[in-house]
Amino acid sequence: MSAPRPFNLVAELTYRCPLRCAYCSNPLDWAAVRDGLDAEAWSRVFHEAAELGVLHVGLTGGEPTVRADLVGIVTGAARAGLYVHLVTAGTPLPPSGLDALVGAGLRSVQLSIQDAEAAASDAMAGTACFETKLAFARAVRERGLPLTLNVVLHRGNLARVDALVALARELDAERLELANAQYHGWALRNRAALLPSRAELDHALARARAARESSPRPAILIAMPDYQRERPKPCMGGWGQRTIVVDPSGRVLPCHAAASLPGLEFWSVRERALAACWSHAPGMNTFRGENWMREPCRSCPERARDHGGCRCQAFALLGDAAATDPVCALAPERGPILAARAAAESPPAPGLQHRRASAS
Amino acid sequence: MTGEALAPAALEAALRGLLEERYHHRHPFNLRMHEGALTRAELETWARNRYYYQTRIPRKDSTILAKEGADAGFRRAWIGRIHDHDGERPGEGGLALWLELAGAVGCERTEVEGLRFVLPGVREACDAYVEFVASHDLLESVASSLTELFAGDIMRVRIAAFEKHYPWVRAEGLRYFQSRTRLAPRDAAFGLAWVLDHAPSPEAADRCVAALERKCEILWSLLDAIEAAGRRPRLVPHAQVRFDEREGRTLVVLPERAVALNESARELLALCDGEASADALALTIGRRHPDAPSAYADAHDFLAHMERAGVLASAA
Repeated sequence: MSAPRPFNLVAELTYRCPLRCAYCSNPLDWAAVRDGLDAEAWSRVFHEAAELGVLHVGLTGGEPTVRADLVGIVTGAARAGLYVHLVTAGTPLPPSGLDALVGAGLRSVQLSIQDAEAAASDAMAGTACFETKLAFARAVRERGLPLTLNVVLHRGNLARVDALVALARELDAERLELANAQYHGWALRNRAALLPSRAELDHALARARAARESSPRPAILIAMPDYQRERPKPCMGGWGQRTIVVDPSGRVLPCHAAASLPGLEFWSVRERALAACWSHAPGMNTFRGENWMREPCRSCPERARDHGGCRCQAFALLGDAAATDPVCALAPERGPILAARAAAESPPAPGLQHRRASAS
Repeated sequence: MTGEALAPAALEAALRGLLEERYHHRHPFNLRMHEGALTRAELETWARNRYYYQTRIPRKDSTILAKEGADAGFRRAWIGRIHDHDGERPGEGGLALWLELAGAVGCERTEVEGLRFVLPGVREACDAYVEFVASHDLLESVASSLTELFAGDIMRVRIAAFEKHYPWVRAEGLRYFQSRTRLAPRDAAFGLAWVLDHAPSPEAADRCVAALERKCEILWSLLDAIEAAGRRPRLVPHAQVRFDEREGRTLVVLPERAVALNESARELLALCDGEASADALALTIGRRHPDAPSAYADAHDFLAHMERAGVLASAA
């Protein structure tokens, strides 16, 4: 099978992070994954990605700014001709540290905040960082870089969409991403405390749409929690179709969570060229295209739009990565989704577990 | 009928009060013109576009002449406006004087006369005026012309402003303004007297005020379009322009998206230096492509599209 042209590279520089968000989508065993690529190795990956046709690189993690060699990494990405985007929590890099990154070719920044107010934001992050984040956001705008504010929405902050929009305006963000938590990694473990009820979600969506109509800036992007949908999301634009994820160890993946799928063989840029890892690793081809699909996906007229949904979700909820995404109303097995939805209509479960090094 | 007729003095006061608030002597573009703050490019854009308005005036007046209620006495007076505008022979009259003004501020006369480079928003505003007159009765049509009550004053302000701030515009270029200081008050006096005579009810008076308000809106939006055309687009600083060899096209890469440019988009974007006005850019494109009648308007559309897409921003 010939692999399609990738347009995006997600470079997970490290899984280390000073925050401990309970909805983290990093793997539960994140602490066992070492930072396997130095700046020079990343530079090679960036050049190979550019040759494959990649336009954008998102430097992410974990928290990419914990890397002491971040300036060198940005330099490598910019020299490869990629559009360099930093996805950060705004800590531990001090605002002054932005200058060297901008000098090295950084073009845009996505900053995460956990909530619209310090106490709630810090509580979710597991550390006092809200004010630091705001200072970082201002530093980004002072340097003329476009800012995207990203907020993972969940039951605890969904009611504060208006305040989040106001904060995004105050910080002069170009975009505000209201991304409902996707239930992978730590988020799946905490689902009972995070998944909103239908009414809570509808209220938040209505507020977000009202904000969008009131002003073109910031552009507001809304990612629905797919548990509350009747059709699966077009996960990553299709498995191995548009986006390359390289994890901190150098493993090349079709998405952030694919390493959680058992029995799939992915290759590493530590051993092979990126093009080979992208095109020929057995795991990359397992769910690429439509040949893997069963009914009802195989003959479904919507398969070109949703690409069969999320494989990691099928595995996490049904134990079978090739099953129809249980989000879909046409799926033969939807039990876990419907049960989670029903549970979300009750008051939230207590006992949020913050991300930590040991998942046991 | 129990409604009291609005006393003529009250209607006149209402019309004048409206003009004081809404006539385009308050428009930011005119204020800047009269302060001497316009660039040559802005003056050119204005003179060229406003000529389109001038060309619509005889049509509007012809439409008025044909209306129910325009009797011989009315026509005898009103037809003078068409003569004033078109002149007794070629090279005379208001249209010719405007061309002289346009030439004096630096426009290419044949381009102005050809009406090829008229801003879409200006065309829309002027056509809306002709359409208004076509679709409303004689009373409302005449009332809409009463912006002339304020035209004499604005012309005097303008002549002084040009002499002081734009001395490079030769004196013959100002003859249109001078002619209007004489003609506008005469025309306005006739129009006002006629309206006050023919608005017998409060309802009719309200329609007169509404018609004049609509006309003020049209003049205002015409200047809005001209003002906006003076913005100076440039590529947003964080954009990355690159040639995509795989697909053989130029891309503008932005955070989390990329915009593909076709050949004409690439040509226009290359000109956006933050110095040239949007109208100057569109003119350059229009002149380069004499065989494409829509090139100028397309360029304006494209600039607006690229601004909405976050590719271009305007220099402050």
